[in-house]
Amino acid sequence: MGYPALAAEADGELIARYLAGDETAAGELVRRHTAALARYMAAQGAPPEELEDLTQEAFFKAFRALGSFRGGASFRTWLLAIGGNVLRDGRRRWRRRQVVELTPEIRDPSGDPAEHAEAGWTLRRLEEGIGKLARLQREVFMMRAQQGLEYAEIAAGLGISEGAARVHYHHAVKRLMAWIQ
Amino acid sequence: MDPVNDGLPERLAAAMRELETRALQRSARVSAERVAARVEDRLRREGAVRSPRVWWLRPATLRVAAAVVLVVAAGWTVRLTHVAGPQAAVRLPVVIPAIDSLTTGQLESVLEAAGEVRAANFGPVLPSNGSLDSLSEQQLQMVLASL
Repeated sequence: MGYPALAAEADGELIARYLAGDETAAGELVRRHTAALARYMAAQGAPPEELEDLTQEAFFKAFRALGSFRGGASFRTWLLAIGGNVLRDGRRRWRRRQVVELTPEIRDPSGDPAEHAEAGWTLRRLEEGIGKLARLQREVFMMRAQQGLEYAEIAAGLGISEGAARVHYHHAVKRLMAWIQ
Repeated sequence: MDPVNDGLPERLAAAMRELETRALQRSARVSAERVAARVEDRLRREGAVRSPRVWWLRPATLRVAAAVVLVVAAGWTVRLTHVAGPQAAVRLPVVIPAIDSLTTGQLESVLEAAGEVRAANFGPVLPSNGSLDSLSEQQLQMVLASL
């Protein structure tokens, strides 16, 4: 999972410091979670040129709402949920101009061209499929399949039951499989 | 990256690995230092909300709540004064925590008091001697009901 309990505890201390007026604690939290948040948003179709702005926006919103953070989930999961909201707001805006070409960063000159074309098609379909999932299905699926979070943690972060998280994940997998066939 | 691919069909798992590779490449361009500086600057400029105070503890909300309480209390006072008036029923001025623990004498005193209350509201119930033995079953039920 790559997110040890010790770090979660230290997040709590940083949050307390920030709420008490220590500005540097906010910066430390940002440095600690930027990579995971940016990766989470990038995998959900955030355009590369907007990724840093979206990441910053999610952090800003998180700090503005930090007083309501109750610690039921880890700070990172809570942050990812806020990131999901930021993505939802921007999704319509960037979906229209989403480029559907195989980008150079994943183009591999070796191997069978047909296989590459097939892989590129599947990846594009997966990205489209993720974008078409219902919000909770998408967020549960990405938190589980990409971030490797436990269902209980996902449920706490999104304010749903663990059973509901499992159901959303199951439906997301089913829909994505149909989408990439 | 440490994705959980439990239950993911191979085709979907493979596509997720591709997606993750691309996401890693794109997110690598995001500078944590730059984001931290921008977030701190924006929090300073636009004001951070640090107080964990919830909405119902805000001064404006508390003022409205206090006003509502005053209006309701005033309404009840007026209603009691005008509707009940001086003919309001006399209440039994005692509270009986456990009637089983009373002695016969105490119980008779209570019943006598209850009879007075009952008489004040609905006419006499107890006989003049106030004895329990002389009460009919119906009278006894009325006394108990008045308690």
